[in-house]
Amino acid sequence: MARRPELTVASPRDRGLPEAIGRPGPSAFHRLNPLTKATLATMSAIAAVVVGGLVGPLILLALAVVLPAAAAGVLRRLAVTSVLLALPIALSAFVLNLFFFPGGQDVLLRIGPVVATAEGLAFALEILVRIMAISGAITLFYLTTRPGDLVVDLERRGVSPRIAFVANASVQTVPAMVERASQITAAQRARGLDTEGSFLRRARGVVPIVGPVILGSIAEVEERTLALEARSFSRPGRRTLLWAPADSAVEAVLRWAMVVAVIGLVVARATGALA
Amino acid sequence: MFVRWLAALIAFGAVAFLGIAVFGDFSADAAGNSWALIAAIGLAVGFVAYAAIEFAQTGGFASIARQFDIRTLALMPVAIAINIILGAAVANALKIPIYLDSIGTILVGALAGPIPGALTGFLANILWQYIIPPPFQGTVAAPFAIVAAVIGLLAGLFGRAGWLRPRPDRSLGELAVGGVVALVVVIGLAIYAYTRFYTGAFQFFNPENDNVLFTVLGWLIALLFVGFAVGFLVLLVLRRDLTVAYVTIAGVLTGVVAALISAPISANLFSGITGSGTDFLVAAFRQAGSDIQTATFQQGLLSDPVDKLVTFFVVYLVLNAMARRSKARFPQGERLIETDATDTLGEAGWRGAPS
Amino acid sequence: MSLRLEAVGYRYAGARQPALLDVDLELPDGAVVGVAGASEAGKTTLCLVAAGLAPRAIGGRIRGTLTLDGETIDAWPMHRVAAEISIGFQNPATQLSGVTTTVFEEVAFGPMNLALARDEIIDRAWDALEAVGLADLAERDPWRLSGGQQQLVAIAGLLAMRPRHLVLDEPTAQLDPAGTQLVGDALLRLAQRGASILIAEQKTDLLAAVCDTAVALRHGRVAAAGPAAEVLGAGLDELGVAPPARVRLQRAARKAGLPPDVIGRLAEATAR
Repeated sequence: MARRPELTVASPRDRGLPEAIGRPGPSAFHRLNPLTKATLATMSAIAAVVVGGLVGPLILLALAVVLPAAAAGVLRRLAVTSVLLALPIALSAFVLNLFFFPGGQDVLLRIGPVVATAEGLAFALEILVRIMAISGAITLFYLTTRPGDLVVDLERRGVSPRIAFVANASVQTVPAMVERASQITAAQRARGLDTEGSFLRRARGVVPIVGPVILGSIAEVEERTLALEARSFSRPGRRTLLWAPADSAVEAVLRWAMVVAVIGLVVARATGALA
Repeated sequence: MFVRWLAALIAFGAVAFLGIAVFGDFSADAAGNSWALIAAIGLAVGFVAYAAIEFAQTGGFASIARQFDIRTLALMPVAIAINIILGAAVANALKIPIYLDSIGTILVGALAGPIPGALTGFLANILWQYIIPPPFQGTVAAPFAIVAAVIGLLAGLFGRAGWLRPRPDRSLGELAVGGVVALVVVIGLAIYAYTRFYTGAFQFFNPENDNVLFTVLGWLIALLFVGFAVGFLVLLVLRRDLTVAYVTIAGVLTGVVAALISAPISANLFSGITGSGTDFLVAAFRQAGSDIQTATFQQGLLSDPVDKLVTFFVVYLVLNAMARRSKARFPQGERLIETDATDTLGEAGWRGAPS
Repeated sequence: MSLRLEAVGYRYAGARQPALLDVDLELPDGAVVGVAGASEAGKTTLCLVAAGLAPRAIGGRIRGTLTLDGETIDAWPMHRVAAEISIGFQNPATQLSGVTTTVFEEVAFGPMNLALARDEIIDRAWDALEAVGLADLAERDPWRLSGGQQQLVAIAGLLAMRPRHLVLDEPTAQLDPAGTQLVGDALLRLAQRGASILIAEQKTDLLAAVCDTAVALRHGRVAAAGPAAEVLGAGLDELGVAPPARVRLQRAARKAGLPPDVIGRLAEATAR
């Protein structure tokens, strides 16, 4: 029967670990346990969907996203990132729903055959607010948590080191693959590949880049496998972690409280108690 | 062992029962009905139940972890990265109504099996939203994780059944049979879907339909289908590879299942809006009178099979480009290689790896 | 604690011809053994077999006996072999685990997998970093290092596992001259400290500098074996391998007709 790893953690600095490892974040919100922050993000997102309407998600946005973001000092970055992310969706939501909302009676604007309706506007705003709440909640998590921290915390709690490996490696592989793609693009350009011009020409130019990127990355898998084996990665069972984020009983209670609250919201919605 | 499967079955049944009780309406008209989503959730919950019982029994997840050998684990991050990069590029840069975010998932499914494939899809979507930084971060990816998981599962099953094994240099007769079967399946599905889900409130080809958008759209789609049929037959004859027919059917089937599961998610959570090129289609269908549920399903039934068809073809091409030796070392790699004289076993004195 | 291969042969999966045949090799504790040979002569295969990766991680068939300190290691699982015999490869970048953001954690990856105590891991990581001279770079991002530095990080990562023997398959093959110099110096220091290394290389100068004994391969068989100075001599030409510079220098001097005592002094001056 495998032993459950301990939850208490000594500060990494007093045992000779380099300072950069496990360095705590700049604000109290940053220093919250990653699982707590993840729970906040997920529960806020679910709540935004369940509550519906216009007011609910806005309140959620203010309380669960804007307030903590201000406390953590990331409000400006959050705003910029959220706006950028939500822009394409906002466009779709507005243009498509404002003008193409079926059954809209209350006409606001008429441009030729196209009609903007008040119902369409209301609907579009609802979607927008909901998506802003969801995207804001998750961006807040992303801005205040190093990706590796959540994975380490989960591994400490019992997630398999193999799954943790895949999660961590994926985060590093994305930028590595993008860099490889730009290197291959440069090489192909030097060989005369046309990357400007019409959409069709650019689309045709995608294959000589995407092909080598995908195949090159897959070819490397073999070497990586052997290198991992050479470091006893296939050893069954747990591995020792150098450090793990701190946790506290208070945060555990908070997490459960959030989950219960959202379950309550779901039940209330299902039984029609919510508008 | 038996206890775990029993627990999984009970969990699946409980979810199904609950789903039917709560959502009830599976009448023939409701196009966006959620039975596929409920089934998928049931599968996931059953899997969790299985894992929970195993953890309670042994303190670990050995029987599941064992399916993930190191090579598979090294492949998964690459596959997830391919999913995210291509998916983000298509969603943000090219506003075409397909996704192209499942190439990695289906690749892992084919090479390593159903469970690794499912996990790859699931993790890719979750990481895409939570941990990958902008500009690649996905805004609506996480709730569709379960769709991605089912796609990976199906790809793994198709791989295990040998559907992705190359079958080159077949006789014209065999190719003809394969071609006909594939075309019948695809066109049959298309006709069924058309008559069931796309008529009623509007018609694509009805000359009295005063909505120009739909007449144009209708002809475009018909052209697409004809183009596909011609292209498919050409490919079949050119490559003389019977597997082209198998890949076509696999792609379309996976697309249909994906559409069935993702429509309720898209409709209920986001009202069909995801910020990608598919939103136009949804709006068009809504304009013609469908409610949100139906409109997202109608859009999905167009985008998903095309997307998965293209994806399966890309994966098949990638697999063909890989060396035999590389494929063979993966758990399911043997099923992806043409059958011919395999390794001569048991020669005097030569021994293999310890088991 | 010597690693011994006796009459070892290996055949890749699906291959008709064996890649190695009838190879005898001994890697005693604290010795540095070199493997020379042209490309496709079997150097990489020999390294994979010695480190237990063949057939465990790549399939294929093996014959002959491998013993560690007299004990046959055939039935040992991969991770157990890896803790005793660690192998490094040519490509520095693919040896990075891909899950760490600092050099220190990268080096600690192996010991972490062995589930050692935390203090032990930290000690070993620092020791390994000092052994290759990278202690100053402990907090750097491994992806942002030069090829030579990344290769040293990889080697440090192997050393941190405190294996009995280190196997290196052409560690400088993909490095530029600066990187080759960096790695070569580090290997020299390790050799002087008594590390036990099996190193395969095309660069016979490197082998001549660090190895005590050497083995030359041709077509998967051992063509010559013995003290490094003997094996890494003029005979290498037949095997398609360029001998070390000092050998070529002496040969050129002889051809140019220099008097024997000058050649003798040349030999002394360029000796290790």
